[in-house]
Amino acid sequence: MNAKRMEIARLYHRFGFGPRPGEFEAALKLGVDATRSALTTIPATDAGALKVAEPKLTDLGPRPKPNTAEVIPFAIGLRNQSEQLFLWWLDRMALSDHGLTERMTWFWHGHWATSISKVDYPLTMYKQNQTFRKFALGNFGEFSRAMLNDGALQYWLDGQDSTAKAPNENLARELMELFILGVDRYSEDDVKALARVLTGYQLVKSNGVVTFNQKRHDFSAVTLLGSTKVFTGESVVDYLVARDDCAKFIAERFWYRFISSSDAMPANFSSVKALSSRDISQGVVAMANDSAMRDPRYAIVKSPVEWFISACRALELTPSLLSKSTQLQGFLNKLGQIPFSPPNVGGWPAGEAWLSSASAQYRISFASWLVNQSSLRALLEIPVDRRVSQSADWLGVAEWSARTQTALRNSSNPQEFAVLALCSPEYVVSA
Amino acid sequence: MDTVTRRKFLTMTAGAVAAGAIAPILSVDEIAEAAVNRPLAAGTPILVMLTLYGGNDGLNTVIPFKDPIYYSSRPDISYKPENVLPLDAELALNPAMKSLKVLWDQKKVAIIRGVGYPNPDRSHFSSMAKWQTASPAKHINTGWLGRWIDSQAEDSMLAISLGSILPPLFAGAKRSGSVLPLGGLVIPKGTMGANCQQLAKVSRADSSLMAAAATSMRNLFSVSTTVQPILKAPAPVNPDLPTVNGGNAGGDSNLAQQLDVVAKLIAAGSPTRVWSVSLGGFDTHANEANAQAELLGVVSDSISRFMGQMKSTSRAADVTMVVYSEFGRRVVGNGSQGTDHGTSGPMFVIGDKVNGGFYGDQPSLKNLINGDLAVTTDFRDVYATVLESILGSPAEQTLGGWKGRANFIKS
Repeated sequence: MNAKRMEIARLYHRFGFGPRPGEFEAALKLGVDATRSALTTIPATDAGALKVAEPKLTDLGPRPKPNTAEVIPFAIGLRNQSEQLFLWWLDRMALSDHGLTERMTWFWHGHWATSISKVDYPLTMYKQNQTFRKFALGNFGEFSRAMLNDGALQYWLDGQDSTAKAPNENLARELMELFILGVDRYSEDDVKALARVLTGYQLVKSNGVVTFNQKRHDFSAVTLLGSTKVFTGESVVDYLVARDDCAKFIAERFWYRFISSSDAMPANFSSVKALSSRDISQGVVAMANDSAMRDPRYAIVKSPVEWFISACRALELTPSLLSKSTQLQGFLNKLGQIPFSPPNVGGWPAGEAWLSSASAQYRISFASWLVNQSSLRALLEIPVDRRVSQSADWLGVAEWSARTQTALRNSSNPQEFAVLALCSPEYVVSA
Repeated sequence: MDTVTRRKFLTMTAGAVAAGAIAPILSVDEIAEAAVNRPLAAGTPILVMLTLYGGNDGLNTVIPFKDPIYYSSRPDISYKPENVLPLDAELALNPAMKSLKVLWDQKKVAIIRGVGYPNPDRSHFSSMAKWQTASPAKHINTGWLGRWIDSQAEDSMLAISLGSILPPLFAGAKRSGSVLPLGGLVIPKGTMGANCQQLAKVSRADSSLMAAAATSMRNLFSVSTTVQPILKAPAPVNPDLPTVNGGNAGGDSNLAQQLDVVAKLIAAGSPTRVWSVSLGGFDTHANEANAQAELLGVVSDSISRFMGQMKSTSRAADVTMVVYSEFGRRVVGNGSQGTDHGTSGPMFVIGDKVNGGFYGDQPSLKNLINGDLAVTTDFRDVYATVLESILGSPAEQTLGGWKGRANFIKS
């Protein structure tokens, strides 16, 4: 495989949501270094992202009692706002000129995985999403403090039920296992100790506002990871983030989502050292420069949302204008990935989990549905006799295999050609 | 995280444990021929694994209803003695499990108590991976049934999991089980179909993930051709239940739907020896009582309905069902009317082949280990028995030299 094409294709598909028509050819001319630097440098403004209007979300207040007149407008409000929120984010991913901020926001959503299925309120989920966006490439310590005061996360992990009299371990455990340190880097006693420190948070579910109730808080000293003292919520987060395991863990998660979900992270992966500052952007830039990006072993499967957004960018489609959004949600649901609805606090799976025979089927119907709504401008501009070779540039594919070339050559109809290309192993997998 | 759906933990553990390599699949014609001409031989044992994701609270499933420590440990969420379904002088089933109690009374239910593994892990994801790989000490990439699949002749119908994502349980080193989504598969037809089959071909240059993507496309054509007509047929009738409008009365749920599909395929003679179904939502950190009872009701009713359906087929005596969860929950309630992650829990084995009754020791509420129940039976004892006495395969290739057994199958 051509090394330059592979690395540029990886940069586009892993540090953004795939190229728009023409971008991959232009990047090939620019070369790897200039492309990497452009894709990892956040511009001052993003005209594409600015075109997407913010969702109009209001505080819908507490859920009315069952069988009252207020229930119906309340339920309609929840549904309309959820739909707006869902489409707003997909549009941002598809229309941003610069992909990295949305890509990292998406990564953090899978990291601090919180689901609207329990949180219920779109406004509360939106605020969490704004925090992800704000800190997407910021300082992980400040980010973690902000997440401690995030209403959606607190509610999701039963923080509001955790009191000095009866600490609930849910948030404490996941904070160490899934958010900051990684599994097996703490003991069960540490979970119990941290649960006591995190008592006393309360929140308004409908707007995500978190308050701290001293009467419910356990002020006693605890022994946590070897230190005995009185911690506050903020100081305990700082204490966890300051541990060496934190940099290692965040680098491991980067490795898992951006480089390889099947091979273990090598100890010398550049992000580990870069994250010693806890500056997320340094970790990301180090990863983009790491030799793993040039190693053909490290293929990765596009998750359903990543695949869908990259198809939208190639097909020049706007998710909110697709007809219609319930069907869009249905396709993403069948493929197993809906934004704001991760399956559990561990986030979505990766790798071969996305490659079942069922998902192969759904991908074909989904791609056909999308292609039928696209003008296919970019594909139709390619002369027919060069369609097979140039379509790889259109989609940002490093190289078509002989197998796929045969399938594409057999296909005289441009719609069918596009569906096959989008469902090919070379497009479903980032080589 | 009390709204865990069926797929939730499945997807997570699938991420934690990479699936094994996928073997080349038989051609469409060969499989179609197998289903029509080579149905599962009469009397071949069939195993159905039911995974409860989220950590089912074992103490409120099989309840020590005479033990005062049970009541003092969890005053908010304990069941009163007059409401439970006694199984013997000390233990009773959750009140929601009436249908399972009927099967217990028929001596078709084995309850293995205190099942777990050494050094219990309280992470959902790690613990489920240990249960599904049967490797508690070392992280490995194959499921215990995946290794069994490896040991059998290649057949894409041999082991089927309901749902669109493969559980690590079925991931082998050489090949894996197939997955079947509810509602079946629709395969592309015409030139699109032909070209998709071209896309599904093996390419020498493929990375392992691209090869897996091509294989998944190939499986779509092979599995769906055989399975599709069968799925369109009506589900077998349960002769024990009254019928309403030609269908069985009884609650509907995702688990019931999954088991309906399994029942149809078993009735049609699918050459499948192992099935996997699942139900999520057991992570009851808060407001446990109603949530868990509702789920246990679904489990109990779905099992009973499925076992009833088997009676109208010739396979009733062949089917055995095994029910497990990744851990039990803490003995003491947490004050949010819920319980935090714990250790051991009961397993259920159900079927005509089963010697009904209790196996393994009930963990003592007096002698807790750091507030948690002791593990009195290793899950490998149960798995080894399932392999030898149900599937008729040596346990050695799947579980190494593991010696323990739990003799819940009639000899």
